[in-house]
Amino acid sequence: MQSTFTRRRFLGTAAAGSLAAATGFRPAFAQDEVLKVGVIHMGAISDTGWEYFQAEAWRKLKANYGDKVEVTVLENIAQIQDCERLFRQLATTGHKLIFGTTFSQYASLKKLAPSLGKAHFECCAGIEAGPNLGVFEAKHFEGTYLTGIAAGRMTKSNVLGWVGAFPVPQVVYSLNAFLLGARSVNPEATLKVVWANAWVDPGKEKDAVAALVAQGADVISGSPNTPVQGLAAEEKGVWSIGSTGDFSAYVKKAQLCSFELDWSAAHIEAAEGVINGTWAPTSRWRGLGPGGFVKMTTASPELPESVAAEMAAAEAAIIAGTLHPFAGPVKDQSGTVRFAAGATPGDDELKGMNWLVEGVQGTLPSAG
Amino acid sequence: MNGLLPILIATLVAGTPLVYAALGELVTERSGVLNLGVEGMMLVGAIAAFAVAYHTGSVPLAVLAGAAAGIGMALLFGLLAISFKANQVAAGLALAIFGGGLSSYLGKSYVGMALVIPQSQLSAAAADIPVLGALLGPLHPLVWLSWLVFAAIAWFLYRSRAGLVLRAVGESPSAAHAIGYPVIRIRYAATAFGGAMAGIAGAYVSVIYTALWTEGLVAGRGWIAVALVVFATWRPERCILGAYLFGGVTTAQLFAQGAGVAVPSELMSALPYLATVLVLVLISRDETLIRLNLPASLGKPFDAEG
Repeated sequence: MQSTFTRRRFLGTAAAGSLAAATGFRPAFAQDEVLKVGVIHMGAISDTGWEYFQAEAWRKLKANYGDKVEVTVLENIAQIQDCERLFRQLATTGHKLIFGTTFSQYASLKKLAPSLGKAHFECCAGIEAGPNLGVFEAKHFEGTYLTGIAAGRMTKSNVLGWVGAFPVPQVVYSLNAFLLGARSVNPEATLKVVWANAWVDPGKEKDAVAALVAQGADVISGSPNTPVQGLAAEEKGVWSIGSTGDFSAYVKKAQLCSFELDWSAAHIEAAEGVINGTWAPTSRWRGLGPGGFVKMTTASPELPESVAAEMAAAEAAIIAGTLHPFAGPVKDQSGTVRFAAGATPGDDELKGMNWLVEGVQGTLPSAG
Repeated sequence: MNGLLPILIATLVAGTPLVYAALGELVTERSGVLNLGVEGMMLVGAIAAFAVAYHTGSVPLAVLAGAAAGIGMALLFGLLAISFKANQVAAGLALAIFGGGLSSYLGKSYVGMALVIPQSQLSAAAADIPVLGALLGPLHPLVWLSWLVFAAIAWFLYRSRAGLVLRAVGESPSAAHAIGYPVIRIRYAATAFGGAMAGIAGAYVSVIYTALWTEGLVAGRGWIAVALVVFATWRPERCILGAYLFGGVTTAQLFAQGAGVAVPSELMSALPYLATVLVLVLISRDETLIRLNLPASLGKPFDAEG
């Protein structure tokens, strides 16, 4: 399991470090050395949700390297001040590669990474790479575009529902692509959006699903950390779609399809870089495909094969680069053309997205 | 009517945890004990109930477990604040934080798990009642029970001798003590009752309302319950009104968002708090009446020798 700090190990590492410093030996990574990796989770590692996918990444890292890596995992470190202290502690106890798991740790890591040169840092959902700090984030919209195709095909009322936590760009481009995917097969589809304005309030999320269903929505998606949206959909007799989480273990009937986040490529590549001495801070933003961060999960048998085939074709096209979910023309709610016909938006335009596409019923605080 | 019924049902569903928790806290405070730890008691009640429901599949057992866990937490508070006469505000805050941590710890192996609770047979039977069936059917009997509890508490406080004694203890514990009432024991009982109600509220949230467990599941409803008691000036009918008002505005704003009403969602999310405070302050703005309803010795420890 996870290794723990012991005083002996701490002293041993410290002694080795000072010996190396005294002899002027720059510790390039020896091949027989064990790579110590540190990971700090701000939340608890559970069976589903954000922290689960973070944990899956280092579990795969361990499975990949076996005895050659040793992973120190600290979970449920809710306070950023504690995270900072522990990042320092990890860096000074021989951990050569240290992962932050949330956007909330990004600012701290940006500050700490340059001064803790013995270690290399990686932050999931960070904004941009900095000195000694690499970042990685997923193109959620490639997943929601595909699930949107399923939604567009399966809806009878042509009203889809989305329950959002907070209107951050990741969520905004996810729900926009969801509707674009739906409209690619069903131009009549519209999307109703309800914001819970809470990361964790399953009660409110359930009420939000009830509100959407009462207003005619018959396919519900969103970005939940718990199965509550799917369960609420099942209770109401409508379809649900998992975004950033496969809840089919709990939502037996209603879940049509879902996609998950897979950060293992980021972890394994970073470890490889550190071991080979080639690690450099990079910014990776990836979606579907081999080495990507977005993975489609097994679809429900309720999903007709023709729809699954359509999704597979779109997935292949996205991976091949011939299809971009936000390829123009894309209009916003007011009808203004945001991405002209034939144009493909740049990463920066997507990363800062603060408007909703035509056909979304709902508001964004920053819209207009 | 058809458009309003889902909103009404959602309101009752969302308001119920507040009804239980706030009425329980009201009884506690009426005895002169200010227990701010409702959130913690709810969380511990929620995980206890969830665990029991998960392993036994029985909702009644789960609710009892939630109530028992709430009582346990309340007695812990009573030990500190009533027996050892610790500052009630500090002890209550500590209880809330402790409950949050304890529930996370106990719930560690249940995180993300969900329950499959079949519709209760009582609800199914009630659905056949003409007119009312459409409203009662979708609601869990625990919601109906909260109405009975409300009636019982209102009767108890204002129509029963025991309720008079409880209020007397909250007004002037030394006077109550002087004529021979066991002040400490009554305060313990009122605190335990508050704990049981908070535990049931928690059980409702984890077993009926969301049917799953995640850390911090109660999401601040315990604090709202405490605030409701104050804004309702310690009167049960205003408490239940405030709880449903809060639930109602929360629900209505979700419906409004879905309908595409062009108001920023942050403002919408703040509306339930604003509306509830505003309405309760307006209906209870009479200062004399506030003083009349406020338990005079609220938050003050009682010492028989002192």
